[in-house]
Amino acid sequence: MKAEWQLAWRRFAVMLMKELKQLGRDRVLLAFIVYAFTADIFLAASGVSLSLNHAATLVQDLDHSPQSRELLARFQQPYFRIDGTVSQDAAALAALDQGRAMLVLSVPPQFGRDLANGRPTSPAMQVDTTNSVLGFLATSHAQQIVSQYGLESAMQRLGMGAEAARSLPQVQNDIRVWYNPNQEDSWFMGIAEMLNIATVFAVLLPAAAMVREKERGTVEQLIVSPLSPLGILLPKVVSMTGVILCGVALSLFLVLIPVFAIPMKGSLLLFFTLSGLYVFTTAGLGLFAATIARNLAQAGMLSILILAPMLFLSGAWTPPEAMPGWLRGLMFASPLHYYLDIAFGILLKGQGLADLQPAILGMSGIGVLVFGAGLLLFRRQFD
Amino acid sequence: MNLQRVLAIASKEWREIVRDRLFFTLAFVVPALLMLLFGYGLSLDVENIPFAVVDHDRSAASRDYAYRFIDSRYFQFRGYAGDERDAAQLIGSGAVRVVLVIPPQFGKTLAQGRPAAIQTLVDGSFPSRAMTTKGYVAAINAAFSLAAVAQAVSHASGLSQQEALAQLTPIALESRYLYNQSVSSIWSLAPKLIMVILMLSPPFLTALGVVREKENGSIFNIYASNVSRGEFLVGKLAPYVAISSVNILLLWLLAVLLYQVPFKGSLLFFLPATLVYVLCTTGIGLLVSVLVRTQVAAMIVTMVVTMIPAVLYSGLIIPIVSLGSGAHVVAQLMPAMYYTDIVVGCFLKGVGLMSLWRPLAVLAVYACLLFAAGYQLFSKRPNI
Repeated sequence: MKAEWQLAWRRFAVMLMKELKQLGRDRVLLAFIVYAFTADIFLAASGVSLSLNHAATLVQDLDHSPQSRELLARFQQPYFRIDGTVSQDAAALAALDQGRAMLVLSVPPQFGRDLANGRPTSPAMQVDTTNSVLGFLATSHAQQIVSQYGLESAMQRLGMGAEAARSLPQVQNDIRVWYNPNQEDSWFMGIAEMLNIATVFAVLLPAAAMVREKERGTVEQLIVSPLSPLGILLPKVVSMTGVILCGVALSLFLVLIPVFAIPMKGSLLLFFTLSGLYVFTTAGLGLFAATIARNLAQAGMLSILILAPMLFLSGAWTPPEAMPGWLRGLMFASPLHYYLDIAFGILLKGQGLADLQPAILGMSGIGVLVFGAGLLLFRRQFD
Repeated sequence: MNLQRVLAIASKEWREIVRDRLFFTLAFVVPALLMLLFGYGLSLDVENIPFAVVDHDRSAASRDYAYRFIDSRYFQFRGYAGDERDAAQLIGSGAVRVVLVIPPQFGKTLAQGRPAAIQTLVDGSFPSRAMTTKGYVAAINAAFSLAAVAQAVSHASGLSQQEALAQLTPIALESRYLYNQSVSSIWSLAPKLIMVILMLSPPFLTALGVVREKENGSIFNIYASNVSRGEFLVGKLAPYVAISSVNILLLWLLAVLLYQVPFKGSLLFFLPATLVYVLCTTGIGLLVSVLVRTQVAAMIVTMVVTMIPAVLYSGLIIPIVSLGSGAHVVAQLMPAMYYTDIVVGCFLKGVGLMSLWRPLAVLAVYACLLFAAGYQLFSKRPNI
């Protein structure tokens, strides 16, 4: 009995070494794994911001009164950036057409006089809403600036000065943002990019390792060897999981923590254990593709079909609440959805095992299901 | 260049593709399926944000305040929470993203005509979503606050509440939305999806096709034959460009017929311009396949080189102007950004060659450079 275990272990170790050597000899691939886990994550975290800031704004002041200047002066950083003035409507439209400006604000003539006399007046704003979210944000910020200015000047005209304004029954809303108080996009983008890269590799590497054997015909050698189907599959998945975890460690300790000061609130051990579990689960999806595909080209197309929805619908780029119901249902079948909760929970919120239980259960459930099915299909191929 | 040899290579490649039925099917199914999935799924609107309320006051005013959020389509009410600790747990577990904390005496303070404070807790793990949420909260709060002030003013001055409100809002901002009047996401999204999908699939197909010969060793037939480098590359790539051209039409039809995106430009400009873009992305695939030796490496390199920049640096999610300086440089180097100008211009703005010749020229130069580099690096006498 003992000898059998030893034998199984030795076979496992030999296969593991074989996989690692095979990967290690593909220098281009190795260099790219390092690039993806360091430079690519650095670029995504440092450069990409999903929020409205410095919206390029042009102003058209047809009034030139103190009031109009005061109003325009309130359009400030960080949301708006006044890039200059235009005098003609045509010039404003041209700037919008060419994408040089996102907003054009125009103050009508007589604006100051109307305001002083209490007559309603309406400045106009043209917004490029090619990106509808930013268009909405810009409008809502502008609306607030304008109505605040309107309120203040109305109070002044009604004879209630600054004193009176302070004693009005206004509601101050003190908004506190948790977990990322300054809304650092780099934290979010960096972590999300790391998870995406890990996912790409977790699907592709084991699938490719498997299909390559099929395409080259070396799988025949494996079949006639005393290895069981699991004995062939497991070393492939384990070795690739190890490589990917190394990559994650690389990006965490070389890029995310030192450069972007991501607060490591939770336990590192827990994070890496669960990352291992995640990569294992996702590798199961890749193996699915590998059993269907007969050559690497097919495997590649199939894994795009698996990967792209996983990445897009994970909830990282688009909020789950905004998706239609059937897609939200599909999201629960994506392991990345749970891994996202886990990674952000541990890294930013400092959650422990207890808080993450639902996510871990969900992920393991999918893992067992996919891996089991993949193994079953794979075994059938041998018969 | 001998046309006959080019044709021979192209027809050999075409047969190889068609005989691999799964691959051939997937070459058309993958782009269409991605278009469907992302078109329905990739909504950038932040709506139905789950929120809870901690109401320490339990007055008419506090209920009125909470009701303004419950009634809004941007928020989805998930119930009252007992105290701040419950609220913290709800946010921590991700069950809600926003909690309103209304302090005791809120209603009374307002009734006495003094300013009152409310605290809002927002989950900041997704910064852009937190920003949008803050915008919504501030807007709803401002509306409530204005109503409360109007009431106080009408009490003090004897005006009716409507008149007081009109007095207090002398300025009304008139916003005009350009290019996308209904601010509906899919109109701005669908054209850009064409850009992303045409960035993904042609290089992938090409890279796999060329490296397959390398890895299988069938490329030695080419090395030993009298086919020149140029003839081989042109013949080899032609079938993939043909597949992608069919996909252009397919994607355009999906955008126009299924998503009902108005197409304001001219097809006579759009189709050739898109073909130039496809040549560009095919060139990326060519370059990758010349540089790597295995298909695994080809797949991963194309994936990292195309997919992530196509999403992040192309203006799909983030406008180019708000990118950081490092990413800005990357964006300028990728063809996706230039094609975004073209596809958005053709669909939503209805502009043509007159204002889009610059990005088109950049794409053409880009394609030429890529093919030149691929031609230079591809050698019939590799030193292995």
